Amino acid sequence: MQTVDLALNEAIQAQAGPALLATQPTVDRIPTFWITKEKIHDLLRYVKNEIDRPYKMLYDLTGIDERGRSHREGQPDSDFTAVYHLYSFGRNAYLRFKVPLPEKRPSVPTITDLWPAADWYERETWDLVGIRFDGHPHLVRLIMPRDWEGHPLRKDHPSHGTELGLNMPDQKMMEEQEQLQFDPEEWGMKRSSDGTDFLFLNLGPHHPGTHGVLRVVLQLDGEIIIDAVPDIGFHHRAQEKVAERQTWHTYLPYTDRVDYLSGVINNMAYLSSVEQLAGIEIPLRAQVIRVMMCELYRIANHFVWLGTFSQDVGQLSPVFYTFNDRERAFYIAEAITGARMHPNWFRMGGTAQDLPIGWEDLFRDFINYLPPRLDEYEREIVKNRIFKARTKGIGRTTVDEAIEWGMTGPNLRACGLGWDFRKAHPYSGYDQFEFDIPIGKNGDSYDRATVRIEEMRQSLRIIDQCVRNMPDGPYKAIHPLATPPPKPKTMHDIETLIAHFLTVSWGPVIPPGEALGAIEASKGNNGYYLISDGSTTPYRNRIRTPSFPHMQMLPLLCRGLTVSDLIAIFGSVDFVLADVDK
Amino acid sequence: MAWWSRKPDSREKELSHNHTSINDSVRGNFALARLEDLVAWGRKNSIWPFNFGLSCCYVEMATSLTSKYDIARFGAEVIRGTPREADVIVISGTVFYKASPMIKLLYQQMMAPRWVIAMGSCACSDGMFDVYSVIQGVDKFLPVDVYVTGCPPRPDSLMEGLLLLQEKVGNERRPLSWVIGPQGVEQPVFPAQRELKGPKRRRIGRLTPPDYASHDLYREGHDANR
Repeated sequence: MQTVDLALNEAIQAQAGPALLATQPTVDRIPTFWITKEKIHDLLRYVKNEIDRPYKMLYDLTGIDERGRSHREGQPDSDFTAVYHLYSFGRNAYLRFKVPLPEKRPSVPTITDLWPAADWYERETWDLVGIRFDGHPHLVRLIMPRDWEGHPLRKDHPSHGTELGLNMPDQKMMEEQEQLQFDPEEWGMKRSSDGTDFLFLNLGPHHPGTHGVLRVVLQLDGEIIIDAVPDIGFHHRAQEKVAERQTWHTYLPYTDRVDYLSGVINNMAYLSSVEQLAGIEIPLRAQVIRVMMCELYRIANHFVWLGTFSQDVGQLSPVFYTFNDRERAFYIAEAITGARMHPNWFRMGGTAQDLPIGWEDLFRDFINYLPPRLDEYEREIVKNRIFKARTKGIGRTTVDEAIEWGMTGPNLRACGLGWDFRKAHPYSGYDQFEFDIPIGKNGDSYDRATVRIEEMRQSLRIIDQCVRNMPDGPYKAIHPLATPPPKPKTMHDIETLIAHFLTVSWGPVIPPGEALGAIEASKGNNGYYLISDGSTTPYRNRIRTPSFPHMQMLPLLCRGLTVSDLIAIFGSVDFVLADVDK
Repeated sequence: MAWWSRKPDSREKELSHNHTSINDSVRGNFALARLEDLVAWGRKNSIWPFNFGLSCCYVEMATSLTSKYDIARFGAEVIRGTPREADVIVISGTVFYKASPMIKLLYQQMMAPRWVIAMGSCACSDGMFDVYSVIQGVDKFLPVDVYVTGCPPRPDSLMEGLLLLQEKVGNERRPLSWVIGPQGVEQPVFPAQRELKGPKRRRIGRLTPPDYASHDLYREGHDANR
């Protein structure tokens, strides 16, 4: 939770004047200001460029359909709310702006002139919530197909697929294919220049190099990429809408599937927000178990990344080695959580169960086994001459650009900024561990590789500290909202039995409020912005995923390079499409 | 198809001692079959998958190709980059509405005979994602041969699915030319695995409780306590 910053309040008040409609206290203590639509652009410009220690990163931008919400005490009337999250590296703090909008034709001015990264966020918000952004260069649907009717995250849009009875008859298939026809003029692209005709190459959505269902349309001059237009939404699983019908507790398995390579790290991100709302203190043992499992999954994620990346640049055997080592990580994960990819093992207040008898030996074997393997990988993959030739200087970006576009995680660190949210905003007791933040220099594909290899060593170091210093005590908090509630207590009195019954059958009721919980996931900053209106389900669940801005940066990284370089960039950035489209 | 291969324990010994009759050598070196069965046998043991993945399940499918699981043992490691060379498409993941036109088109581009494995809960029935952007199971628009359940299924499950598909392919009757009588492909009907395995599974009484990191540890503790 952030500390209260009075100077900031004054500065915003002075700048906004009467346009400041309200300041809203939130559970996460992120300063939250309600600003009128007319003044929001000016204010965002002010906090980005003029305020001291400015908020340089557009962390997230989304909308809320407020029409069915209760417990809005102290907030201005609003049917739809545009929500801006900013982040300042100088202050190490978040900032939130909200703009109240009417039901009829809600619109706000675009901020794509301030942050180029706002482009996709605004298109996504238009697509899913139906808030218009005036002045946006090309406001078309980003996630849903172009001919989709309605805005899915509005409360009156159907949630279930069975309600809609979706199917794909031949006629429809042809129409949808027709719609995907790329029109260069629509994107402001020329078909030719200086007597050269450009080639428009459609890469994906089913292409082995794109790591999933992603489509990129390339404007090529021979082999050189002039521009690229990523087309996403092929992997949209409506994770945000699902949350509105699951209980706080039964949404947990869905989080596993957001970044499906990182397992419990997703649970951690979601819970870091829910536990703030519920006000649960996590026992020490549970914290350390969580850290240990998160780092194990970080290593497992990086193994997939390393294997597929090396395969992308032409090394055919490493993937077999890294996947075997991933199996070793999964062997431990399975012994502890019972599952491989989607463990769903953390719970509100702790973990699902205590560590099993014999867990230390599994980890010790792993800690002893892995370092020589990592050295070998470094020697054979990263220091390979061909690998260097394919990745050095490819997909370069600077720290300023990276921040401007919302890049986080190892990709940002590869540019040379040692910013890790495990250290900057310690959660789950990360401040008690000794580990280094590996950084790169050039922000190219090669540095992104070296940073991640070193990060695996550091993760192993953290796991080692967990194994050596595992505290005793309960693995779940004694708290009425911890789920599922401890069973033995129910056998003593009727009150706890009733509470247990209600929590298990209906789900826990979380007090009204808003909180953003953000953590350092394996790919970057993963945040859950949850709104409770005091019921058994979240009113709104906004997931800020790291891969989304990374994907948006793609054209920037690949301009002027060749198609084969693009594949090397894809591999190095480490995204999964579920994390992009949610 | 009749297939006389040498059994390692019985016939091999006789052969090595030069006691072979002409009859035995003929049996050891020739296979007699109807062409149709021979083709079916060949098809069955070289089912080449299409390099196609949708979401989480694809990672487990890729894992089945790597050394610990090694799907090459069953002749299905030759991943094809084009649908025209592939025999089976494994729908490994969620069938997104926006991606489904491409899924269908890719299937249509595959050459017959072609088969479909629905891998994972999403492809089978859509599992936990009963949401507006997802088609509820790939069998809404593709004919599915084998359903592999799980979220995601372990690589072992996918390989079991492949073996079931092999059994099906091996027993299919696909006339190689014009035939008299009913035309077309005759597909064998198999009972659901649930019916075959259910009774045995229900009888399992002793499972390793989650308190133990391995079954061996549990047994040790169990024996020591007694």
